[in-house]
Amino acid sequence: MKRVTIVGGGNVGTNTAFFLAENGTASVTLVDIKEGMPIGKSLDLMEAGPLRGYDTTIRGSNDIESLAGSDVVVIAAGRVRKPGERRLDLYKDNAATVREIGEAIKRLAPDAVVVNLVEPIDTLTLLIQELLGADRRRVLGVGGLLSSTRIRYLVSAELGISPREVTALIIGPHRRSMVVLQDSIRVSGIPAAMLIGQERLAEIVDQARHAGDTILELAQSSTAYYAPSAAACSLIEAVVRDTHAILPVSVRLDGEYGVRGLCAGVPARIGAGGVEQILEIRLTDAEQSAWQTAIAELKTAIAEKTGRRIA
Amino acid sequence: MSRKKVSIIGAGNVGAKATYYIAEKVIADLVMVDIAEGVTRAKALDFLHAGPLRRYDGPIRGTTDYAEIAGSDVVVITAGLARRPGMDRMDLLKANAEIVKTASLNTARYAPNATVIVVSNPLDVMCHVALRASGFAIRRVVGMAGILDSTRFRYFVAEELGCALSAVHAMVLGGHGDQMVPLPRFTTVGGIPITELMAPATVARLVDRTRNGGAEIVGYLKTGSAYYAPAAAAAEMVEAILTDRKHFAPCAAYLRGEYGIEDLFIGVPVILGRNGIEKIVELELTEEEKQGLRASAEAVRKGVDDLNTFFRAT
Repeated sequence: MKRVTIVGGGNVGTNTAFFLAENGTASVTLVDIKEGMPIGKSLDLMEAGPLRGYDTTIRGSNDIESLAGSDVVVIAAGRVRKPGERRLDLYKDNAATVREIGEAIKRLAPDAVVVNLVEPIDTLTLLIQELLGADRRRVLGVGGLLSSTRIRYLVSAELGISPREVTALIIGPHRRSMVVLQDSIRVSGIPAAMLIGQERLAEIVDQARHAGDTILELAQSSTAYYAPSAAACSLIEAVVRDTHAILPVSVRLDGEYGVRGLCAGVPARIGAGGVEQILEIRLTDAEQSAWQTAIAELKTAIAEKTGRRIA
Repeated sequence: MSRKKVSIIGAGNVGAKATYYIAEKVIADLVMVDIAEGVTRAKALDFLHAGPLRRYDGPIRGTTDYAEIAGSDVVVITAGLARRPGMDRMDLLKANAEIVKTASLNTARYAPNATVIVVSNPLDVMCHVALRASGFAIRRVVGMAGILDSTRFRYFVAEELGCALSAVHAMVLGGHGDQMVPLPRFTTVGGIPITELMAPATVARLVDRTRNGGAEIVGYLKTGSAYYAPAAAAAEMVEAILTDRKHFAPCAAYLRGEYGIEDLFIGVPVILGRNGIEKIVELELTEEEKQGLRASAEAVRKGVDDLNTFFRAT
């Protein structure tokens, strides 16, 4: 069985372990620096196994060395956003954490596929990819998939139908300026706009842009974690089971969609080696200009945070 | 909440496999009814023996007695003859019409509140038989066709692109025959229409293969026809109804003016839930798609006319 190490035993990390166990995807090691905590959570998950019918191994550890030999490393160790806090302010703390984990991956699991869940996603996914010097296909950020599952849910609720057959594709940076491809929002292949109208669909998309904030405001002390964990789990499954799933993922672009040297969300085929293929699909003029605006914003944000200018 | 009950009429390959899929997927009492008593009881027992390993529970019963379907929430009619050498289309139509009629009359008698899923072929015509014989409300009689035809289309697309099956969605309308209407512009990979990802000639080849999906399998098997995919499609519908999933998918539904078609069962997108067909969704179709659907409807209508001639004669 493949080994997945999740670094960060907070809500997102623990729930990702939970989803992986329920699906029987891989044996999981949950690593956190907080003494005892990942060990206790792992034990709790294992003790639920006889009732939930899973028998994957979940092990907790306080030692980063445990990630040696992992097939997939999930980085879920960032500090969460406080209400009202901007993504920008998170950057310094999270970049330091991610850098430390990246160094450990480089030393202990240099061939692993790395899945980053730490915000700001695109900037930190790029940081990890550069730090590892790894093949860009092996470093993935979870961004568009989260927005996608939110839109899928909102559309299904609007129509009063099951969400399973709903699709939605989001590209661009994982920011409010993400580019939602309207025509990709479909139900069993039928464009949602045909069923609920353009106007209502636009409202739903707008709701999805603010979904993270909505949950933060309601839950007060915690950010969303079920949907982010589910997004991570889908991505990890595609890698571990080599499914060739088509999913939106943040990956370093090398000329695709006219961008080079930045990580941003694109639709990709995901398998054992990470990103197998980036799908370059035709954008409408409006989508093309939204993409350019979002990329320009991302460049500005990176420059503000790191002092680095990307052409 | 009381336990649900599902009865499957006909314990041949499709009926038995559907029973198995339903057992694995949902918690319900299952009854298989067939005229072959020993075989039916044997299959039910075999399923139960596998239960501890496959983690499902009984009861699963095999019987010849229709009284045992009493109180079913869903009745799946799979019984029918396969076409044998020397048998013409009309012979088959008559034989299966009698079988489906018997099943439907018994359903009305013992399970008057059930939703009926028709699987027997020729599918769209057998839906008419079931509707008439049962006297059920039209939303409670639904035919299994579009989900099967679209699962085949989905597989062909995924195979062509080398991507996961789960990424592909497809829409196939029309009758369950070689005049079915696969809709490539509503067939997508991760939300991207296949018309963006493949050359028109490739799309046409996959559409053609979908139309002949059943025949392709018969060609390989020689003496039998497909049953895994048909049973999976039937089980999907059962699950949608029992769990009130509000599943948006193509099914054979009785149209009264929708899509400009009157008083005919044909495959259209519907929402399947607790109440059977909860909604028929009318899509705006292109002129070409409309023509395809009309041609398919005419073919079904001809089968229904044949059926009427036969019933008048008897």
